[in-house]
Amino acid sequence: MPRQGQSVESCILTEWKVKPGDTVAEGDVLAVIETDKASFDLESTASGTVLELFWAADDDVPVLANVIAIGEEGENIDDLRPQGAGATAPPEPVANSTPDAPTANASTVQQTIAPSQADSSTSSYKPSSGVSPRARKKAMNLGVDAETLVGTGPGGRVIERDIDAFLAGTPRLSASARIRAKEQGLEAPVRGSGIAGMALASDMRQPGSIEGAEVEPVKGIRKLIAERMMQSLQGTAQLTLHSSFDLTNCQAYRKKRLADGESKVSINDLIAQAILAALKVHPEMNAHFLGDRLAVFHEVNLGIAVDSPRGLMVPVVQEASKMSIEMLSSEIKKKAIACREGTIQPDDLSGGTFTLTNLGMLGVENFTPVLNPPEIAILGVGGISLKPKRSADGEVSFVDQISLSLTIDHQAIDGAPAARFLQTLVTHLENHPGENPQIIEGEE
Amino acid sequence: MKYDFAVIGAGPAGYVAAKKAASAGLKVVMIEKKKLGGVCLNEGCVPSKTLLQAAKTYHHAKHGSIFGVEAGSLSFDFGKAHAHKNSVMDRMRDGIAGLMKKHKVEVIEGEAKLLKGSSFSVNGETHEAENILLCTGSSPSIPPIPGIEAEHIVDSTGILNIDTLPKNLVIVGGGVIGCEFACVYASVGVPVTVLEAMPEICPNLDSEIAAILRKELEKKGVTFQLGAKVESFEGKSVRYNLQGETKDMDADLVLVATGRRPNVAGLGLEDIGLDFDPRGGVKVDNRGATNLPGLWAAGDVTGQAWLAHAASRMGEVVVNNIKGQKDQMRHDTMPAVVYTSPEVAVVGLTKEEAIERGMKVKTGKIPMAINARYIAENPGEEGMCKVVLEAETNRLIGVHMVGGACSEMIFGATAMLETELREEEIAEIVFPHPTTSEIMKDVFMAVR
Repeated sequence: MPRQGQSVESCILTEWKVKPGDTVAEGDVLAVIETDKASFDLESTASGTVLELFWAADDDVPVLANVIAIGEEGENIDDLRPQGAGATAPPEPVANSTPDAPTANASTVQQTIAPSQADSSTSSYKPSSGVSPRARKKAMNLGVDAETLVGTGPGGRVIERDIDAFLAGTPRLSASARIRAKEQGLEAPVRGSGIAGMALASDMRQPGSIEGAEVEPVKGIRKLIAERMMQSLQGTAQLTLHSSFDLTNCQAYRKKRLADGESKVSINDLIAQAILAALKVHPEMNAHFLGDRLAVFHEVNLGIAVDSPRGLMVPVVQEASKMSIEMLSSEIKKKAIACREGTIQPDDLSGGTFTLTNLGMLGVENFTPVLNPPEIAILGVGGISLKPKRSADGEVSFVDQISLSLTIDHQAIDGAPAARFLQTLVTHLENHPGENPQIIEGEE
Repeated sequence: MKYDFAVIGAGPAGYVAAKKAASAGLKVVMIEKKKLGGVCLNEGCVPSKTLLQAAKTYHHAKHGSIFGVEAGSLSFDFGKAHAHKNSVMDRMRDGIAGLMKKHKVEVIEGEAKLLKGSSFSVNGETHEAENILLCTGSSPSIPPIPGIEAEHIVDSTGILNIDTLPKNLVIVGGGVIGCEFACVYASVGVPVTVLEAMPEICPNLDSEIAAILRKELEKKGVTFQLGAKVESFEGKSVRYNLQGETKDMDADLVLVATGRRPNVAGLGLEDIGLDFDPRGGVKVDNRGATNLPGLWAAGDVTGQAWLAHAASRMGEVVVNNIKGQKDQMRHDTMPAVVYTSPEVAVVGLTKEEAIERGMKVKTGKIPMAINARYIAENPGEEGMCKVVLEAETNRLIGVHMVGGACSEMIFGATAMLETELREEEIAEIVFPHPTTSEIMKDVFMAVR
């Protein structure tokens, strides 16, 4: 049973489309399943003969449970039977077979399902209309004649939300609003602006709109970012470590460069360069976690998070570890401009091995960066703040500090080595800002 | 005292809102500095309609010969007409007082002043109310013309207290109020001259409808000077400029009817930080909410509509919103009437207004004279019905009528607009025969 949304714990298997003995191919529709919001086709992920249906029609099936066995005649399928389902469900199983199942997990199957935010837009079920079991049950409990309702499910099927809408009271449509609904496929709000809440032609709106809000489909780069972010937060074990560094020597270094007539470098450039230096000492942080493999890279391809008009982009400075501070600074600038102007090449947006993200200029003190998988580390940079510092002789003074937040994938690396990397980074920024990594290596 | 709802002003917005709120169980107080009923009952709708009916009755008696009715010695006693007017007003005021008593609305006579933080003072006492409705109405707006202070020059409030007929009447302003009084006086034989600055009377009306009204009033003896700008009053003489030419005429009585302005002074509104719209009215959204939480406004004080029924509806909308029931004004479906003979009744957009909004429109118009009932009852009187439809959908968006007692059928057009009926649906509505209302069905034959 596929998961149909974040909060869906079970689905009702409303109708079987196959029976034991049928031959099915990958992609064939096996059954119709339903959440409280929509119906879906359950498609086969395998080809072969239907050996057994583990659930009866109208059963409430927990997500990720096996629902059907498909294979070759005579195969042993005992291991596939899910807990909670009738162990030897007959081809025409009795309805509500779950209470009979003598297993420890039976109670989880029977539990009521909380309303969910399941995706209702992907309904592909067409032919039969009628009333869904879930809707019928609710209608009966509330004294609504579900047969008289016009459903919004596939093929006009009455589903649970139709009962809810009926009870909430759908507005009457004006004559002109009705024509617009019919001709342009528009939808009425819960309450219209006309007489006694009648929906007028001007109230009609695209299905899925929300009152008081501009609704736009999620597409393009926003969709990509959304997918990547969910992948990141769902697929990795993120741990964030916070630290900060004293800015005094960085400022002095920058001032000296200007005095010496050298090119200008930013604090961000110095932090990027310090990352490269620290990765020389802790190369295990410059890696991709690939589930069953861990790839530790020889060179650092440094990703830089850029706030572009189209959304967050992360251009990559390829082989940054080979660059001088001047070159690194100029490359970062070039890539950021390309992102903002929309001229960035697709190749420059992939292949990163470590990412730097900076929100300091926006007044952020601290934040927890989100990993850019399969990378295992990302460094977040906050703004400058004045903090007390005790010197070696015990004197307390105030110094400018910048906070650093390192998020790691705990699947790939532990907290202590990550903390050591952060320590090296801070030490470099406080003592050797802008200095070539080779020099530090030589020192150590 | 602490109230749930305080209403400042007992006009058609105020007493309707007070009654509605009290029926919903709120503790309501209504403050009025003059008389219950507001401008509508005391200085506007009700007295003027009583006098119009007096004039109409005289006119029918005088011109009954076409029906074979001859009234031998006909006379008109304006004093008696005024006495009837006063009795109607007294009766209506008692009605409102009774209604307030029945619904347990406390009525305080006095002048209210708004204070900060949902409180107000009246007669030296400070009260609080969770919600306050400001509906203080409007007053005639008097233009700064030299000599306008003279005693024989009155506004629409003043003229209602003069119960003798003048030798002649000059009306400055050919809007709704000017036309109604022109009709009263001309119908009973007083020579009336209307000086209107614009090229046509009632500039808010469809121009064809306005022209028919003007011609019908001319038949009754009203002289219209269009494009006439009054420059000064000297003694009994009125000096005006007509297309660059200075003219003088004598006036026994002058009515200044150049519009109204919202009553916003002396209420402490500036001190509490209330927002006004550019026309000087209290700024409200389509629910009647002002920029201050808990303070609402309805009726003429908002500078919108200038109609008693609009004010009542605005009051209702405010109370519904206070009760938590969503409701909003729909000014596009607000009917308006000129109670002259013949009457003008309109609802919705004119063709020009619709085009200005970027709509594609179709229109249709037919003379009232094709209607059997109309010509039987209104011999020799011109009339017209005009409809405006949205071209793409055939939705009815405007109805404009002049003729007979068309005010009595405009509500039907309002219902059609409110429910957004299209030509196709209206075609299935049955109109009783013979009625003047059939014009509303027949006009669609002329739509193109």
